[in-house]
Amino acid sequence: MKKHKINTQDKKGVPLRTIQSSSWCPGCPDYMILESSRRAILSLIQQGYKKENFAMSTGVGCHGKIFDYLNISGVYGLHGRAIPTAMGIKLGNPNLNVLAFAGDGDTYSEGMAHFIHACRFNPDITLIVFDNQSFSLTTGQATPTSQLGYKSKAEPLGEFNQPLNPIHLALSAGASFVGRCNARDEIHTQKIIERAIQHEGFSFIEIIQDCVVFNLEVNNRDKRMYQLLDKNRSMKQALKYAQEFNYNNENSKIPLGIFYQKHRNSLNEEWPILHKLAKSKKTWGDLKK
Amino acid sequence: MRLNILIGGKAGQGINKVSGIVSKTLISQGYFTFNYRDYPSIIRGGHNFNVLSVSDKLISSHESKLDIIIAIDELTKHIHKDELKKQGIIIDYKPFLNFGRNLNIALSGALAKALGIPKKTLLSQIKGNPKTNNKQSLQSAKAGYKSQTNRFNLKKLNNKLTIMSGSQAVAIGAINSKIDLYFAYPMTPATGVLHELAAKQVENKMMTFQPEGEIAAVNMALGASFSGARTMVGTSGGGFDLMSEGLSLQGISEIPLTVYLASRVGPGTGIPTYNMQGDLDIALRAGHGEFPRIVASPGDPLESIEITNELMHLAEKFKTLSILLSDKHVAESEYSTNKKPNKSLKINITRKLPHEQIVKSSSYDTDDYGLTTEEAKFAIINADARLEKYNEIKKATKAFNMTKIHGKANSKNLIIGWGSTKGAILDAIEGEDFKFLQVLYLKPMSNKVKQEMKKAKKIILVESNLTGQLGRLIREKTGISIKNRILKYDGRPFRSDELKKQLKELV
Repeated sequence: MKKHKINTQDKKGVPLRTIQSSSWCPGCPDYMILESSRRAILSLIQQGYKKENFAMSTGVGCHGKIFDYLNISGVYGLHGRAIPTAMGIKLGNPNLNVLAFAGDGDTYSEGMAHFIHACRFNPDITLIVFDNQSFSLTTGQATPTSQLGYKSKAEPLGEFNQPLNPIHLALSAGASFVGRCNARDEIHTQKIIERAIQHEGFSFIEIIQDCVVFNLEVNNRDKRMYQLLDKNRSMKQALKYAQEFNYNNENSKIPLGIFYQKHRNSLNEEWPILHKLAKSKKTWGDLKK
Repeated sequence: MRLNILIGGKAGQGINKVSGIVSKTLISQGYFTFNYRDYPSIIRGGHNFNVLSVSDKLISSHESKLDIIIAIDELTKHIHKDELKKQGIIIDYKPFLNFGRNLNIALSGALAKALGIPKKTLLSQIKGNPKTNNKQSLQSAKAGYKSQTNRFNLKKLNNKLTIMSGSQAVAIGAINSKIDLYFAYPMTPATGVLHELAAKQVENKMMTFQPEGEIAAVNMALGASFSGARTMVGTSGGGFDLMSEGLSLQGISEIPLTVYLASRVGPGTGIPTYNMQGDLDIALRAGHGEFPRIVASPGDPLESIEITNELMHLAEKFKTLSILLSDKHVAESEYSTNKKPNKSLKINITRKLPHEQIVKSSSYDTDDYGLTTEEAKFAIINADARLEKYNEIKKATKAFNMTKIHGKANSKNLIIGWGSTKGAILDAIEGEDFKFLQVLYLKPMSNKVKQEMKKAKKIILVESNLTGQLGRLIREKTGISIKNRILKYDGRPFRSDELKKQLKELV
């Protein structure tokens, strides 16, 4: 069997960053999402969270490379399967803080069933979707959030399906925390990721980002973005804000921040045995059977 | 002594209740039983039947000729009357119609009397079940009992017996292995294990989870196993197909995984509630890329307990994929036994877990630190490591019963089979000039298979499928092609008296 020399060392001077050099395109906002995530976890560690208790899963796509750069435990899963993998990690040890990193093609195409059911199951995990509105690692085909008219090698006549609105969908499916960030705003993104991890239940953050190589049409939308007030709002109000931006390249405003947050019992709270493990900070292996 | 009792009626009329009450009563009287369940994919109506076979010796199959028919409806008589022996009897539902929903209990009473079971034994069985421990049930049983005469005179025997289905056995094997999480999406005939474990989860400090599908199930199981839980997933052929990519992820990520695959009649939805050994090929090969795995198949509930435990043990020890290949016939038939399973092996998790230190498992090829690499050097190192792992697995599995020899040890007539055909083969060769080589581990496969084949004059392959999948596997491993094949692929399991005839025709 292969013996890994597990390297727990961070890159010199950069906590939580592995020694692996990065291979995202120059100028890709994925670097910024990595940085926001790294800072959010670092900040939580400073607030008392244990570094060893962080774990992640990723799908496959440009976003997935974060697995090689973020120095926390995890499973580099299959395309579309970051969510069930993360749910499994959480069920396997209810004391872990689990992040699922996924892409828009990953989550809304191949893995759509998992996305809807995670909203319903309400596991205490945080889903962070890198949404650049294209399948970039496979050279730019349309995803379910690509705007109408988007032309690619696979859609030479232009995309004629309406993009779906993941924020609206997550709210309808019962997600207990729904947020949106701009990849380029690292300070805001870090704050929302921290809040999402602290939320007990399924937290969904959609990060809007440019792709600097494919789907250039939807780049540079910062001017249209604005931050929602940080306050509790009803489902009705949240849905209203969710509909402000329909993912087509129109001139509408793009709201950012937490659309909706309401506590509902998570899997950890519903299942007696998970509740017991979480409360006593024990693992399955600690149980006497 | 051997009796075959058919209990037939519409789905929902309580056929299993009759066979359940009577077989438990017979077990308490020291009689061995085997109960075959035949039912279409219908919840109410249609035609269901069980064949309850009874003997004073260990049996593990049913036969084609019937001694008693319990007819809960007209159709049962119509369909099965030709299977009745000359002296056979039919116990008709008509005199008991006024018992309403307790019709099946009245018929249980009638059957008990016909068999010669003491009334006290029958009533204590009915009182022992909270669902039937009521005045109406007891009255129905008594009235049924009164309606018949003692025809078969089954005197009490001294055997201490237990009764169990393959599904119950897999659940016991998993609990003996201290399973933490079982993930499954409902699919016949694997669902029995989900139900068994769900019912026992609280008392056994484990959890069953029914996710949105089989793809989620396998990926959740890998995630949970990664964090340190002892896990298993269960499914049938169609669900297993969906899990294929997850199996491949296991191969590269080396996260321990045990999969229970209970097969039924394919391709496609096929004949969903009937039996077929049609999925050996996918158990051996599903998942892209080349990676090690273990495939083993139990022939009865006792072996199901043992192999479930062995496979969970091996999956953790070698961080590998274990596939427990069973089928509808073993999963849903009820077998009696006077034997106990082997002592359970411990499943020790010695690998480092995420809450202890940083652990990374990947679907990509990785370098020494578990991070993605595309270098040729690592491609070779990792592939060679997978091959080396399989060599280690081959050595380790030698400690288990990879094959078993049954029947006449010095016979030159060798029958080869695997899984659920074991029961009918054992009963068919009783007292005959046959040796039976049961293959329990299909991957790796024991060298014993080739050795036994070399010693034999006549080799007969028995399988419940169309193409003889074990036969093809044996030819791949040994270069020997088996010419004599008895293959059954109508979805119905072998009946031992018919199989006996077929075997004798070949020698």
